[in-house]
Amino acid sequence: MSRAVDVVDLTKKFGDFTAVNSISLSVETGEIFGFLGANGAGKTTAIRMLCGLLLPTSGSGTVAGYDIYKENEKIKHSIGYMSQKFSLYPDLTGMENLTFYGSVYRIPRKQLKDRIDKVIETLSLADFIDRPSMALPVGWRQRLALGAAILHEPKILFLDEPTGGVDPVFRRRFWEMLYRLAEAGTTLFVTTHYMDEAEFCGRISIMHRGEIVELGNPKELIKKHGQPDLQETFISLISAEANNA
Amino acid sequence: MHKIIHIARKEIMHIRRDVRSLFIAILMPLLMTFLYGYAINLDIKNIKLGVLDFDKSVESRELVTKYFSSGYFIPAESQVQLDDPERVLKLTDAHVVLVIKPGFAEALANRTEYQVGLLLDGADANLAAAAGNYAAAVFNQYLVSMLPPGMELPGVTMSHQVLYNPDLKSSHFFVPGLVGVILMMISALLTSITIAREKETGTLEQLLTSPVTPRQIIIGKVLPYIGLALFDGLLVYGFAILHFHVPMTGSNLLLFVFGVIYVIAALSIGVLISTLVKTQQLAMMAALTVTMLPSVMLSGFVFEIKNMPLFLQWVTSIIPAKYFILIIRGIMLKGSGIEVLWPQAAVLIVMTLVLLGIAAKKFKMKIG
Amino acid sequence: MRTILALVRKEFYQVFRDRNMLRMIFLMPMIQLLILGYAINVDVKNIRTAFYDYDNSSLSREYIRDFSSGGYFITTASDIPLPDVNEAFTENRFDAAIIIPEDFSENIYTGQGVTAGMIVDATNANSAAISMGYAGLITARFNSDYSALASPITMRQRLLYNPEAESVYYMVPGIVAVLLTMITVMLTSMAIVREREMGTLEQLMVTPISTPAFILGKTIPFAILGYIEMSIALAFGILWFNIPFAGSWLLLYGVAFVFLFTTLGVGMFISTVTGTQQQAMFFAWFFSIFAILTSGFFNPISNMPESVQYLTYLNPLRYFMAIVRGIMMKGAGVLELYRDIGSLVVFSLSIFTFAWMRFSKRVE
Repeated sequence: MSRAVDVVDLTKKFGDFTAVNSISLSVETGEIFGFLGANGAGKTTAIRMLCGLLLPTSGSGTVAGYDIYKENEKIKHSIGYMSQKFSLYPDLTGMENLTFYGSVYRIPRKQLKDRIDKVIETLSLADFIDRPSMALPVGWRQRLALGAAILHEPKILFLDEPTGGVDPVFRRRFWEMLYRLAEAGTTLFVTTHYMDEAEFCGRISIMHRGEIVELGNPKELIKKHGQPDLQETFISLISAEANNA
Repeated sequence: MHKIIHIARKEIMHIRRDVRSLFIAILMPLLMTFLYGYAINLDIKNIKLGVLDFDKSVESRELVTKYFSSGYFIPAESQVQLDDPERVLKLTDAHVVLVIKPGFAEALANRTEYQVGLLLDGADANLAAAAGNYAAAVFNQYLVSMLPPGMELPGVTMSHQVLYNPDLKSSHFFVPGLVGVILMMISALLTSITIAREKETGTLEQLLTSPVTPRQIIIGKVLPYIGLALFDGLLVYGFAILHFHVPMTGSNLLLFVFGVIYVIAALSIGVLISTLVKTQQLAMMAALTVTMLPSVMLSGFVFEIKNMPLFLQWVTSIIPAKYFILIIRGIMLKGSGIEVLWPQAAVLIVMTLVLLGIAAKKFKMKIG
Repeated sequence: MRTILALVRKEFYQVFRDRNMLRMIFLMPMIQLLILGYAINVDVKNIRTAFYDYDNSSLSREYIRDFSSGGYFITTASDIPLPDVNEAFTENRFDAAIIIPEDFSENIYTGQGVTAGMIVDATNANSAAISMGYAGLITARFNSDYSALASPITMRQRLLYNPEAESVYYMVPGIVAVLLTMITVMLTSMAIVREREMGTLEQLMVTPISTPAFILGKTIPFAILGYIEMSIALAFGILWFNIPFAGSWLLLYGVAFVFLFTTLGVGMFISTVTGTQQQAMFFAWFFSIFAILTSGFFNPISNMPESVQYLTYLNPLRYFMAIVRGIMMKGAGVLELYRDIGSLVVFSLSIFTFAWMRFSKRVE
C-alpha cells in the first residue's frame, strides 16, 4: 500500500505572488496529519492543490496513489473534503443534502440509504436531518458537512479548519468522531488554529509564508524547541521566521 | 454630517471595487441610448414590396417605378418562378405584394373598370396599416398624374405645419424619455441591491450597532448613487444634444431641479424595496418588476398612454417616470416652463415626499 | 446519468422551496404578458384634433365628418383662438389641429381648389407622420367623392394572416420569445454564480462529478422551467388574448429547444465572466436588452439604419422571433422558415459549444 499523500516541491504562484513555495511531505495511510500555520501561510492553497481544485505551478506528487496532474478525477473518488466555509446547500434539508452528495459520488441507490443511516447514527444527526441546514446551529452544520464528506467512505479526508466557530464541547465530540474514522483506516489531513487539536495529531507540519518550517510529532517538536507546550513552540517558530525574513 | 460622509465614502469604495457592475452601470445607458436612438425607429419606411406585373406594359412599369421612388417602398428579393401572391408573401421577405393583372394599360386608356390588387402581410398590424395607406396614396398620385391635361383635380390640398420636431425624428422623442428611464433604473435598482447586500452579508447589523443613526446610514448609502444616477442622466442628455441633435428649447435649470426631485423619488422606491426583501436576487427581481418594466412600458416612453385600455391608463398615473418624461419632453422639445408643467411637477413632488416618508418610516421600523 | 438527475432534482428543490423565487418565476411572466399585451400598441389612434372651421358650410362639415368617422381622429373642442393655438400644444391639450378657410366650399364648387391647413405636434415623430398620412388619405378620398373625377380604376387591398389587424396578435408571440430569453439567461447564470458565491461549487469540484454532467445538471432544470414558462405564456395568450395559433406546436417546441441552447449557453458564459449574482444579473439583463431591441420585437428590422440591420444578424433572438411569429400567425412550416431555422441552429450550437469550452471545471 502506497502512501496516502506524497508530494515533492509543490509550488503555486498567483501572478507574482508565491502562495506555496516548494513544499514536500508524505502522509502514511491511517495517519492523522495536522497542518498548522498562521493565517495566509498557504495552508488552504496547499490543500486545494491536493484535492485537485487547483493545478500546481510546479512540483510533483500523488494523492491516494494517483498522480495529481493526470489522475485528479480518480483522486476525487478517494477523497472527502470539508472546507472552512459551510458549503452545503443552506436551503436544502440535511437529508436532501446527503442524498444529493451521495448521488454525485454515484453510491449505488440500495447502499445509499444504509450509508446515510450509518452516518446519521455515527454523527448523531437524527434530530436535525429534516430541517433546512441554514436553520441549524454552526456545530450541527459542521457535523452535517462532515457527514456529506464521508458518505462515500473516502480513503483520505481533507478538513480545512473544520471546527472554526464551534464551542469546546462540540469540538471535543467532533474530534472523537475523527478518531473513530482514523481507527477505521481513514487518513485525515486537517488544518487548524487550535493547538489542543494539533496535539491530537500523529504528526504536524508548520507552515509560514508558503514554506514548511517544521514537521514532526507534536510532543517531539515541543521537546526539540524546549518550549512548555505546542502553543509556545508555534509562536516561537513563527516569530523566529518572521525575524529572519 | 461627518458620519454620513464616511458611509458615503465607503459606498463609493464598494462601487469602485466592483468594476464589472460599474461598467454595466455606465455602458447600459449608452447601449440603450444608441439602440433607442437608432434601432427603435417607428416611422415606417423601407417597406419591402414584391411586384407581380402580368400586364407588362409601359404604364404598369411606370406605376411600379412610382412606388419605388416614393421613398416608402423598396424592392423585395425577387423570385422569378413565383406567380401566386400568397406564395410570394410566404417565401420571400416581402411585406406587401402588388398584383397588376393583364389589362391595366387598356383600362387606363379607355377608362373602364379595373382593379389593382394589393396583398399585405397583416402580421404586424402597424406596419400593414401604414403600408396600406402609403400604397393607396402612391396609387392615387399615379392616377392623378395620368389624367389628361386640364382634368387635374381641383379639390382640397393640404399644407402641414409640423411643430417641435419638424424633421420627424424618432430619436428626438425617445432619447429625452430615456433619461427618465435611466435615472429610475440606476437609482431604484442599485440602491435596493446595495442595501439588500449589506443585509445579506450582515454588515448592516454591524453598522447599526455603531453610533450612526439609521437615517444617516440611508443618506450616506444613497448619496453616491444620486451622483451616479445624475452622471448617467447627464451622459444620456449629452448624447441627446450633441449626437442626436435634440433641441433644448427650455430651461436647463428647471430640468436639473426636476431631475433631482425625480431621482429622490426613485431612490425612495429603492429603499422601500430593500426593506421588504432579504436577498439581492429578490431585490433585483422586485426592482425590475416594480420600476423598470413600468418605466419603459407604461410611462409613455415608447407607447402612447392614450392608446391603452382604460384600466391600464389608471395604472400609469402612479408611475413617477410618466410625469418626469412629460416634463423633460416638454422642456426640451416644446420649451415649456413651470407655468405649463406645474401639474406634472406637483404630482411628482407629492409622490416624492410620500415615497420618501414611507421609505424612512419603513426602514426605521425594520431596524427597531 | 444519475448524477445529472441528482443535480436536476436538487435545483428543483431549491427553486420550489423559495416562495418568492417561485412567485417571481411564474407570476412575472403573467404580469409582463398582460401589461405588454395591452401597452405595446403602436397603432396610431385617438389623435385628439381641434377643428377650426371658418367656412361652416355643409361641405366643410362633411369634410370634418370624414376625419372623425375613421376612428383615427377624435374631435376635441377648443376654446383657444387660432392665433394662440401653439399654447394649446405646449399644454398638451390636443395632438393636431385642422384649419378650414372660409372660402372652402365656394372654391371647391367653382373648381378653383383650396388649401386646408394641418398643425401637428411632432413630439412623437411616429404618430405625427402617420397622422399626416391619414389626413392626406382622407383628403384624397374626399376629393374623389366631391370633385369631377371618380376614377373607375381602384385598388383592392387584402390583409393576410391578421385580417382584423390586431397588433396584440403580433406582440404576444414576440413576448413569448422575449420571456424565454430573459428568464433562462438570468436564471442559468445566477444559479451557477450562486454556487460559487456560497462555496458549494468548490464542494462539487472535489467530487468525481464530470464537467458534462455538471453543465447538463445545471442547465436542464432551466430548460424545463423555460418550457413551462413558455407554455404558460402561450396558454395565457391564447385563452386571454384569443391569439390564433395557425402552425405546428411540434415545430414551435422543437425550435424552442434549439433556441434554448443559445440562452443556456449565454447564461453559462455570463457565469464564467462574473463573480457575484448581482453582476450576473446585470450582464444577463444587458444581454437581454440588446437582444430584444435588435430582434424586431418592437419594430420591423427593415426600418433600422443599415449598420444596425447588419448587427441584427448576430442576434439569435432575431431568428427565433421571426420563427415564432411565422409559426403562430402564418402557419409557416420548415419550407418557409428554413433560412431562419438554419441560422438559429448554427448560432445556438456555436454559442453553446463556446460556452461549454470556456466553462472550466477548475476554480482558479
